[in-house]
Amino acid sequence: MKSIPDKNILLFKSCLVSTEYPGIESSTKYIFDKIGVEYIIDHNQSCCTGLGHYSDIFDQLSTTLIAARNFHIAKKNNAKNVVVMCATCYAINKKSAKLLNKNNQLREKINNVFKESSMEEMEYEKESFNPLDNIFHVVEILFNKRDEIAKHVNMNLSKFRIATHHACHYCKVHYEDTIEGFRNPRILDELLESLSFKTIDWYNTKRSTCGAGFRQRFVNKELSMKVTADKLLELNEKVDILIHMCPNCQMQFDRYQPYLSKQLGIDFNIFHLNITQLIALAIGGDPYKTVGIQTHTVPIEPLIENISENNLHPKE
Amino acid sequence: MNFVQIENNPLKLAKKILSDLKASEDMGLLRCVQCGMCTSVCPGAKNSDYNPRDMIEKVLEGEESIINSEKIWNCFYCYTCHSVCPVGSSPCEVNQILRQIAIDKGTVNDKVGPFAGYGDSFLDIGIGSMPKSFFMDLNEDIEGWLNFKSELEEIRETLGLGPITIPTESIKEINTLLKKVGFNKRIEKMKE
Repeated sequence: MKSIPDKNILLFKSCLVSTEYPGIESSTKYIFDKIGVEYIIDHNQSCCTGLGHYSDIFDQLSTTLIAARNFHIAKKNNAKNVVVMCATCYAINKKSAKLLNKNNQLREKINNVFKESSMEEMEYEKESFNPLDNIFHVVEILFNKRDEIAKHVNMNLSKFRIATHHACHYCKVHYEDTIEGFRNPRILDELLESLSFKTIDWYNTKRSTCGAGFRQRFVNKELSMKVTADKLLELNEKVDILIHMCPNCQMQFDRYQPYLSKQLGIDFNIFHLNITQLIALAIGGDPYKTVGIQTHTVPIEPLIENISENNLHPKE
Repeated sequence: MNFVQIENNPLKLAKKILSDLKASEDMGLLRCVQCGMCTSVCPGAKNSDYNPRDMIEKVLEGEESIINSEKIWNCFYCYTCHSVCPVGSSPCEVNQILRQIAIDKGTVNDKVGPFAGYGDSFLDIGIGSMPKSFFMDLNEDIEGWLNFKSELEEIRETLGLGPITIPTESIKEINTLLKKVGFNKRIEKMKE
């Protein structure tokens, strides 16, 4: 298995984390601080271009140029590892690192752009970021530290049924690098189980996309909602909580669940949380000051009240 | 004796696609056996008339009309086909490249124009935020969405997070760089 770092990390800011579920970022920081993962955040880092890229607005040259600038920012901070909170940031940065390392013509072209813009310091040095060994999703860092995290967990979730939604742009784009499976993706299940949170593991639509489909949510809503509803319809009777690892998937399910309830006349009752939010809660994070549940559309308060009742005698 | 005229270079389109930056190294497009695995796992195919197997067949036959097909706009870019293809092809990447070819021809501004805002906001604040033209729709479908947006800065402060917008110096850098590769012209053209 690839070796997963716990230091020299640039925690890569994500547009959708920043603007929809900022609690994912504060939860990640909370967990990292608690288990001693060393990281920095640099506000000069720009967004990866992902939403625009997959809406066909950014061409590959522009996206890779932006990635090269962001890699420079990581390097400047002595961070040889880039760790992302969004599955699309993961796909975009890995693709760009692969291109920058292997496509000499493209790398030279991009380095020339830096030179002509008097930003020579940003020139990308071949192999300076290895897509396998230097670019990770936060979930991979947490998976690697699962035993350490388990020591801090002080919450019993045994009365809740939990399923996982593994983001496509983590599992399927660079599938040869995905850990714990991509045909039956299990990294979230494995991580949760090692924290003594049991999941239902496989279900029929486990591999299905969230339905956002980038442009589809906005201009092809019926198609988009059909795909989202398929998963909710399967899971509604089976689980109480769906765990996410991508802010776009989380947005699709959390923001549109009440909409779909109304459209279909079905009472969908699933709580949506990012894996970092659940773990932050489980190791003592404040729901509003750390986990950021106030930005959710499906209220998380009933879940937290229910957990507290269930945890009158938490394990210590 | 009658002769049938065969296209001189039926693989021209396939080769153009393979040489595109978006195409993964060693993409197995030419190894496609038309098994249909891609279509069987595709959310677009399940719910619309998009058919990735058929799209690849047309590409391999050099059928350029596929570039202007309405159907290809139903792909979700979920890469499910890409992750299961037995010969390492990627209908998902082929689709993205076909759309780029159509964009370069300037024939699909009605499709991409509404999303050009991702480019504008990237140049303005260093974040590709959802185009404002979709905000009212979002607010209609999602209760309290715009209200939440107006409280975002405050919430971020409560969470101990920094600003959303990147520093002015960095925004300038990004503008200089993207201008050099013709990005501004590209998005302006999309809006025509």
